[in-house]
Amino acid sequence: MRYTTVVKEMNVLFNGQLMVVSSGAVVIQAIPIGGSMLPQNFTEERIQDVAGVANTVPILFVTPMQIDEGLQAVPVNFSLGIPVGDWQLILGSTPLKDGVGHFPTDDLSNEIVVGNSLAGQYNWTVGKIADVNGFELNVTGILDTKMALLSRSIVMPLRLAQQVYNYWESVNMFTVSSAQGYSQQQVAEAVEQHLGYVKVLTEDERNDIIQPVLAQVEIWNLGIQTVVFLLSLILVMTITVMSVSERRRDFATLDAIGAPLTYVFRVVIFETALIGVIGGVLGVFFGSLGALFLGSLYTNIPISQFFSSIFEIVPPLYMLEIFAVIILVCCAGGIVPALNAARMRLAEVLKAEY
Amino acid sequence: MRIRTVGLTKTYRVGAADICAVDKVNLEVDGAEFIAVVGPSGSGKSTLLNLVGLNDVPTSGKIYVDEADTSGFSGGRRRRFRLLRMGFVFQTFNLFPTLNAVENVELPLALAGKPRMDQRERAVKLLETVCLGNRIFHRPRELSMGEMQRVAIARALANDPEIVIADEPTGELDSVTAGEIISLLFDISKKEGRTVLVATHDEKVVDVADAVYRIQDGRLTAQN
Repeated sequence: MRYTTVVKEMNVLFNGQLMVVSSGAVVIQAIPIGGSMLPQNFTEERIQDVAGVANTVPILFVTPMQIDEGLQAVPVNFSLGIPVGDWQLILGSTPLKDGVGHFPTDDLSNEIVVGNSLAGQYNWTVGKIADVNGFELNVTGILDTKMALLSRSIVMPLRLAQQVYNYWESVNMFTVSSAQGYSQQQVAEAVEQHLGYVKVLTEDERNDIIQPVLAQVEIWNLGIQTVVFLLSLILVMTITVMSVSERRRDFATLDAIGAPLTYVFRVVIFETALIGVIGGVLGVFFGSLGALFLGSLYTNIPISQFFSSIFEIVPPLYMLEIFAVIILVCCAGGIVPALNAARMRLAEVLKAEY
Repeated sequence: MRIRTVGLTKTYRVGAADICAVDKVNLEVDGAEFIAVVGPSGSGKSTLLNLVGLNDVPTSGKIYVDEADTSGFSGGRRRRFRLLRMGFVFQTFNLFPTLNAVENVELPLALAGKPRMDQRERAVKLLETVCLGNRIFHRPRELSMGEMQRVAIARALANDPEIVIADEPTGELDSVTAGEIISLLFDISKKEGRTVLVATHDEKVVDVADAVYRIQDGRLTAQN
């Protein structure tokens, strides 16, 4: 679920923009992966030659797979190089934490702003020097964001990023906005035709690429949830059947002293609901802890980094939903044993015992 | 007549054979009588008591309580009848282990919808009557066998029933305690005007009973 949320939230990046990448690159929403680098000035000039192009911004998007000597299973740190003044293209209206600091002001400066999660992990504060790839960079602001990608990003002027990651005069993507009167599709086709070595993705195309993957992930999610709930249902039913069976005499006595069927039924359902409440609290607690643990395991980010964003990783509404479903599953699992308990007759129980 | 049975019969199917546990029993019990039903194990004593207590449905025959034919009663009405007009005492006490003495006695009162305050008041009074006023918050496992049976008797009397049915109430008790329980049941019948129907092997019950019936192979005969 977290995976699909993270991918979906990336969709807000480069809103309304075309994305130009090398023809061999794979694009996951806003992130170009693989493919060759694009010569910055040459490509930029050729894009601007195309009719219908209003504005072009070169971007260097780096996803290092290794940081602090620890190899990560998935990219969790991002470096974004973008010309000074075009911050809003990526950051939108993201503020700086506590309003302290400023965005880099000079393309030639060594200033960076960093995501809050990354800053927390490496104890970076405004004014501190961050060692990135052997370069001493000055942290001028901490991004105050709940967006997973930005919270793990280092945003710096493009020239600095090219220097730090040794991609001189190269970028791996451009954003292009289309001029009035031109559709995204028209401009995309024209750029692709004119350059030949790039592919241009409209917003819809980027969504179309990821949609089947997300659908697949969600189907798996649903499948796993269904299996878990079915197993829980069977488990609760088995436990309750055993519990009722051990107390046959009690239920038969209730029948003998005249307890209404609904009373016996309610007693058993209440018990299973109680199991649900206890199981729900423990399940949500340990499940959330498990999510943090797995997150830490797959990303090499210390688990303590996840605690402050627990409600982003497992949203409260989702916790509540799971809690409610657990109680419902437990109550449903109690129905058959509750009916059995309500049907127990003293004469039959005694006859079975003697 | 408080209880009257006419041709009361109960048969069970065991494999291919029909076993007649109660065979055309005609029984008449009046007001404050203390009745003993005796017979060997498997003779049909418990089945007869379960039928009379409306805990089981006869294969044929009729059961009248205060001349009301109970054969047409729905399941719900039988339950209500058992709750309000009958009390049950079992050989193995059948107290609820998670409830203490007073809560065990309160249970039938709660099921009958009595107000909470009245439940506690009545339950404590009944436990005092059976000499357990100082044990009201003890759970069954903290009580002796005799005390547990006294709690069970108090529970049977909770809703002030006209009929008390006791199935081998002294079966698990030593002779001294058994004597006390018989005496208690006898007082319930004579001093409070209830009909007490006891299935037993115990000769002491036979000695004090107003009438003794012997049951053998499901057939009931009066014993002088």
